[in-house]
Amino acid sequence: MSYKIKKAAIIGAGVMGATIAAHLANAGIESVMLDIVPPFDPSEADLKKGLTKESKAWRNSFAINGLNGTVKSRPASFYSKKFASMITIGNLEDDLDLLKDVDFLLEVVVENIKIKQDLFAKVLKITKPDCIIATNTSGIPIKEISSNMSEKDKERFLGVHFFNPPRYMKLVELIPDETTKKEIVDYMTYFLEDVVGKGVVVCKDVPNFIANRIGVFDISNAVKTMIDKGLTIPELDAIIAKVLGRPGSAICGTIDLVGIDTGYHVMKNLVEAVPDDEMIDTFKPPEFMDKMVKNKWLGNKTRGGFYKKTKDEKGKRVKLALDYKKMEYVPFKKPKYESVKEAGKTEGGFDDKLKSLFYSEKDIAGEVVRGYLCRNFIYSANRIPEICDTVYQVDNTMKWGYNHRKGPFETWDAVGIKESVEVMKKLKMKIPKKITEMLKKGCETFYTKKEDGKYYYDFDKKDYVKMEDNPKIILLPDLKAKNKVIKKNVGASLVDIGDGVACLEFNTKMNAIDGDIISMMYDSCDIVEKDFAGMVVANHGTNFSVGANIFQVLIAVQNAEWDILDKLIYELQYANMRMKYLEKPVVTAPAGMALGGGCEISIHGQRCQPCGETYMGLVEVGVGVIPAGGGCKELMVRCTEGLPEGTAEVLNMQPIYEKVLMNIGQAKVATSAVEAMELGYIRKTENVSLSRDHQIWDAKELVLGMAKTHKKKKPDMIPVMGESLMGIAHAVLYNMKHGNYMSDYDEHVTMKLAWVLSGGQCMEGTFVTEDAILDREREAFLSLAGEQKTQDRIMHMLTKGRPLRN
Amino acid sequence: MREAVIVETVRSPGGRYKRGGLAQTRGDEIGIQVLKGLMEKVPQVKHEDVDDVICGCSFPEGEQGMNLGRVIALGAEFPVTTSGMTVNRFCSSGLQAIADATAKIGAGWSDIIIAGGCESMSHIPMGGWIFRPHPDWGDLPMTYVSMGVTAENVAADYGITREDQDKMGLESNRRAHEATKKGLWKDQIIPIDAWKYQKDRDGQWVKKTAVFDMDDGVRWPVTLENMAKLKPPFKQGGSVTAANSSQMTDGAAFTMIMSAEKADELGLNPIAKLTHYAVVGNKPEEMGVGPLYAIPKVLKLAGLKIKDIDLFEINEAFAAQAIYCCRELGIEKRYWKGEVNPNGGAIAIGHPLGCTGAKLSCQLLHEMKRRKVKRGIVSMCIGGGMGAAGIYEML
Repeated sequence: MSYKIKKAAIIGAGVMGATIAAHLANAGIESVMLDIVPPFDPSEADLKKGLTKESKAWRNSFAINGLNGTVKSRPASFYSKKFASMITIGNLEDDLDLLKDVDFLLEVVVENIKIKQDLFAKVLKITKPDCIIATNTSGIPIKEISSNMSEKDKERFLGVHFFNPPRYMKLVELIPDETTKKEIVDYMTYFLEDVVGKGVVVCKDVPNFIANRIGVFDISNAVKTMIDKGLTIPELDAIIAKVLGRPGSAICGTIDLVGIDTGYHVMKNLVEAVPDDEMIDTFKPPEFMDKMVKNKWLGNKTRGGFYKKTKDEKGKRVKLALDYKKMEYVPFKKPKYESVKEAGKTEGGFDDKLKSLFYSEKDIAGEVVRGYLCRNFIYSANRIPEICDTVYQVDNTMKWGYNHRKGPFETWDAVGIKESVEVMKKLKMKIPKKITEMLKKGCETFYTKKEDGKYYYDFDKKDYVKMEDNPKIILLPDLKAKNKVIKKNVGASLVDIGDGVACLEFNTKMNAIDGDIISMMYDSCDIVEKDFAGMVVANHGTNFSVGANIFQVLIAVQNAEWDILDKLIYELQYANMRMKYLEKPVVTAPAGMALGGGCEISIHGQRCQPCGETYMGLVEVGVGVIPAGGGCKELMVRCTEGLPEGTAEVLNMQPIYEKVLMNIGQAKVATSAVEAMELGYIRKTENVSLSRDHQIWDAKELVLGMAKTHKKKKPDMIPVMGESLMGIAHAVLYNMKHGNYMSDYDEHVTMKLAWVLSGGQCMEGTFVTEDAILDREREAFLSLAGEQKTQDRIMHMLTKGRPLRN
Repeated sequence: MREAVIVETVRSPGGRYKRGGLAQTRGDEIGIQVLKGLMEKVPQVKHEDVDDVICGCSFPEGEQGMNLGRVIALGAEFPVTTSGMTVNRFCSSGLQAIADATAKIGAGWSDIIIAGGCESMSHIPMGGWIFRPHPDWGDLPMTYVSMGVTAENVAADYGITREDQDKMGLESNRRAHEATKKGLWKDQIIPIDAWKYQKDRDGQWVKKTAVFDMDDGVRWPVTLENMAKLKPPFKQGGSVTAANSSQMTDGAAFTMIMSAEKADELGLNPIAKLTHYAVVGNKPEEMGVGPLYAIPKVLKLAGLKIKDIDLFEINEAFAAQAIYCCRELGIEKRYWKGEVNPNGGAIAIGHPLGCTGAKLSCQLLHEMKRRKVKRGIVSMCIGGGMGAAGIYEML
């Protein structure tokens, strides 16, 4: 590969530019971020701060503000705030030289073609001849932007369209011009997928590309349906909602989030950009949106859009919703639909629930959904081959860029193409010819599985075409379908993922750790030790594991089955120890939440291959207990390992143990894998998978690498502070309690934790065995579990889903 | 008893914690430079004539460890024959050092002693580097209580409102600002060649020095509205904030004390003498009330009434305790008349722990000289639950 992006440049330090730079930093790419010198003079207030027209701080102020805003942004843009130092800021007049050595330049300035063209003319004079040049435009055709460029420059120019917020949205649309070199498209696909961890969809160079064409239609279609059917805003959001696989903010809530003005202009622009579109009338923003823009009711940013949150006379928080007919805010009342409720209760998966609502005749909701989805289906089908050639591109785009659970064609498959066509006929809709043809050929779904893999229906070839397998994407369900299960029970399975590596997968609800998972951990270790090169512990769940099954714990407590509980905890502890000391390499691959027992399993891998989006923590104190699956013990190991011989005995370990005490005592959860390293859960020497899709493959490669020279680990000995830690804990907690930062019971639980961490009544710097700490974990856990306030906490968590402070 | 008199008293400027002018200078270095400055101001006294250097320090460890009194005496080029010691009674250490020196001279055991205090809070954390409360004390850590919590206790138990605390915070800063503007500190401050670690052009870290000659903690202008916005860090729903608490500060202050005969022999004009000194214990969890017991105790020793005292320096560890003490001692009105903490207190110019007693003494004596008044009191509360007070009489 002749291209390699080591350093990037982002031009334009607005929210989008700065957050893209932040995510590149997450991926280990340094960047230069430039913006214009402010086109106005410093204000009185600025002058007072010592800023002058000539000062660097003033001239760079746009870029400085962009970076500062990103450091503070919520949800966080950086994995760690420290990464901000990977971004060098400057302005487009004094600092153009900084662009000399960048390998990739992305423009993220205002959507104005002239400004973009002038900018490229300026920077192309400075950048290296092989620097890849790109625009993050969300709708302007690429060929128009590049029209003034030389042929040579056009070859390395393309559209790279990130979605907001770039760290969390998977989609990147890649839009090559006809003149863009194929090598560059290939390299950028690799770079964005493998290095930056995104999902790439290559688009055609048409207005709004794929996501904002289908997505804007989707929203316009919903709003129009609302008006046509005379629904209120809350009614629409109650129907086009979770049951259809839409994000919790539904339609109007989402527009409030994005901004009414933004949505309004995108709709308006599209009307001008695609005059021949058959659904152009749908794109025209309704009258009430004109008024909203005029009134500056622009959504969350103006504290009022479709919804408004305010306080009544009594100071109580109230939610209002816009009555768009009268243009006034009225109290929000959650609408209820029998059909929606019924769909939610329908047995089976998401498809069954969707189908139930789609064909429901119970109330207006079914009718609304039918009209709305059928228009979406037909519109999407009519866009092929105009905006792209395949159905999966459209589906991926809507899933990755708009957080839809399923794309339009997948949704269509779910409700049944044949049956829905009958519905369309009843609604007097024009069925696309390609769909009639397809059904005539006997192809009744867009996607189908055959023995050798997954196929999609190709409208051009008028037949199913095999979807390309990406070897870096290991899908456990596919392998299981291919009889690659080595062993399984109700809670977990061991799957052969090839090359002598096995993967332990959890299958319980929210991947909560229970007896089945624990017994499978032992079985897997036995099997792997005998027959495999090594093991990966991973799954595809939203969360690696939310922790132990506390319901099981509560039942045991209530029945006073202390021996059973002791045994259960003991078994988790030593399942973890078995993995840690297995004669074959074990790599854990946490992603999403890895809490409590999930964190304990994650940190007991011999190595860890976390996904960037890993939210890890030992949160047991929330339910009134302490980590007892080896979590205390392993965090103690993690935070003291690496001390040179002879130092632990004489070192003041107070800051180290205070950190361990506070991490667990305050149930600190890392908001990224890198933060988990900073808190001490994961070793700083581990690698992070930015792509969740590639994570299992990354972990497998790590196992294979380790397997070549693997030796069983020598048992750890842990240096502890002994009784000294108890004195420190008493003093620290006393102050927290008297400052109202802690309840008496919090203090009690945390003192038990300190008792575990102290290691016993010994001198500071004494080394103790892992078993000694595991014994203390169990003893503390059981004694806390016997207390009423702990049981109240567990009960509260089970019934209310959040911790109780008692 | 012989008469022990003060012939000179000086201090370094107060440098704000971590960000101030002394933040990168070692504690012992600040002490050494103040000692040198003091000796320059009294050229009649030769280094070898100084018997002892007594240094107050609250956390005498790390760079202010190894017997700070001896370290700075040698550092300030006193001969090996000049002895040195460190005393620690937390916030009254500096005053304790002056009291001990006075007593020693009075007893005839020494002729000339330099006494005071020295503390870098930027470098040595409160609680010290190695904090080891007794494990068997359980949830009654007593003397280990955080100072902020004790201030919240005083505010809650004795009804000191947030408004009153903020008002004192503002007044302290206003007075310090006025004093600075008028140049009142000039005679007492020894400018320090403060250390600064900087990156040079090659990106290498190098040590530079810069003259630091002014208290840098004074916040002016401030408004009650802005102060009211601050969150109380020690207690949720509490009232003690950064704006009504003393500042953590770096600094050193030293006083030269000698027998009246020696002063006469050297032709020096004594300024004042410490006539009485008392320390008393109280509950650790409301340590701030110390002056309330220490001042009556010292007055009783001297056979004086509070009205006989012309000027006070009562350490503003927290506005909550300072207000309460003034109120109960019947001198709250005198505070507002400017007879207590006349040029602002620790809320504005800092509370460098072991140095504070010496620093307040220095401030008091210079102000008494300016006002030409006779008697003054320096008093403070002490971590662990104590109060100390000393009576100075001008000569």
